[in-house]
Amino acid sequence: MIDRIETTLEKMQSDIKRFYDKKVWHFLTLNGVQLDENSTEIQWIFSKYGQKDAITLFYLTATRGDIIPSVTDILPSAIISQREIVDMFGIEIEGSPKGLYLDEDSLTSPLSRCRI
Amino acid sequence: MGKKTINIPLGSQHISLLEPVKFRFECENEKIIGVDSDVGFVHRGIELACTSKFKYDAIPYVVARICGLCAITHSLTYTTAVESLLEGEVTLRAKYLRVLLVELDRIHSHMLCLSHTAENAGFEAMFMQIMGDREYVMDIQQALTGNRVQFDYIHIGGVNRDLTTDISKQIKTNLQIIRAKVGEYIEEFSNNWSLSLKYKNIGQITLDQAYEYNAIGPLARAAGLKTDVRSESDYLPYEQLGYEMQLASDGDIHNRNMIRLKEILNSIEMCENIVDGLPEGDILTKLKGKPNGESIVRLEAPRGELMYYIKGDGKAMLNRVRIKTPTFSSIPAFMEIFKGSNYADAPALLASFDPCLSCTAK
Repeated sequence: MIDRIETTLEKMQSDIKRFYDKKVWHFLTLNGVQLDENSTEIQWIFSKYGQKDAITLFYLTATRGDIIPSVTDILPSAIISQREIVDMFGIEIEGSPKGLYLDEDSLTSPLSRCRI
Repeated sequence: MGKKTINIPLGSQHISLLEPVKFRFECENEKIIGVDSDVGFVHRGIELACTSKFKYDAIPYVVARICGLCAITHSLTYTTAVESLLEGEVTLRAKYLRVLLVELDRIHSHMLCLSHTAENAGFEAMFMQIMGDREYVMDIQQALTGNRVQFDYIHIGGVNRDLTTDISKQIKTNLQIIRAKVGEYIEEFSNNWSLSLKYKNIGQITLDQAYEYNAIGPLARAAGLKTDVRSESDYLPYEQLGYEMQLASDGDIHNRNMIRLKEILNSIEMCENIVDGLPEGDILTKLKGKPNGESIVRLEAPRGELMYYIKGDGKAMLNRVRIKTPTFSSIPAFMEIFKGSNYADAPALLASFDPCLSCTAK
């Protein structure tokens, strides 16, 4: 069961800050799903400690050129998945440089390509 | 005048590393005060391949290639995510057989970690003994699946091979041997100076840090954080099979070793319960439809929580496959533990994290 909560670029940090209690929620990862050539759904996924298959997912739609605010002040462990999303989708997240998997000057973003 | 610091690299190739990863330690004398990592040396683009090269029903065999140690957990987590979007039910017999393979994966993976922890303490004989004993598990896996390392056992709707009487006997015999061996390891890891005292109070993570950095698996449980997907998910029948969460409180290397040893014993017990109480039924059910919608499934791999997100639109090719591996999400916690430790302890610390770079870079 996935509980989906929509947010926006402006509200995302405050929404997650209000929601997140580190002793209740476990941050799973950041995810990206390309919707079309210009937009990508960015997801912050949480599970609840001690509860069976309880997943909460915050999501927003980012369009090309958007800069996603970083959540590392709230979720320090998000740093690594933020960098992965930057590499794979070519989107920009504050404080997350390219180069985790790809070269720092790589021009490609593997998961933002059109389907082969 | 400020204190001088020096930067010391560890990796990408290093005698203590099984796979390529690079750390850059900023040290003040012997003490690590800063750390940076590079984990992308074995990136293979598997997430892209899963949505561009392979149909959804071939992917269990693709993701099994992500990691040689937890191949079963990868293909099972993906398969479970797909099955939640299809019509039909996997039989209890198939679920029992799936747990059997996942727990055998856990036993041999933990044994590998323990052997390398011993090796990093300079205890070569213990390293070789555990690696030799590990063959008993790999023999069982070969008998069950046909392969020693890359197991193509999990199929959408069930499993590919049934358990025969001969294999059941082999499982029980080999597990009895391993149980006795683990008893000896516990004695050694508890009382041997190299293995025990050298690792007590080294590389500690507190309960608060475990929460802060979302620690998972044996790393979290050694610090007292009660989290294990086996108790937080209903996809596999762990409650019927004698699963017990193993916990410690000090969060040091010694505690992580002991958690793994106790988990091996619990896994052996569950495997024996499966062999003794395997329900009747088919091992493979034909499920109808194609994946339509999104699904998130977590299972407990040997190193902790493994998560698959899949999204499909009713076609043979999926829209998105996201793989969150245990080592990948534990890296921030690893980095925090390194800070304040002695540089000389870095290889042993790294071995105690049981990192899997093939999983991380996928």
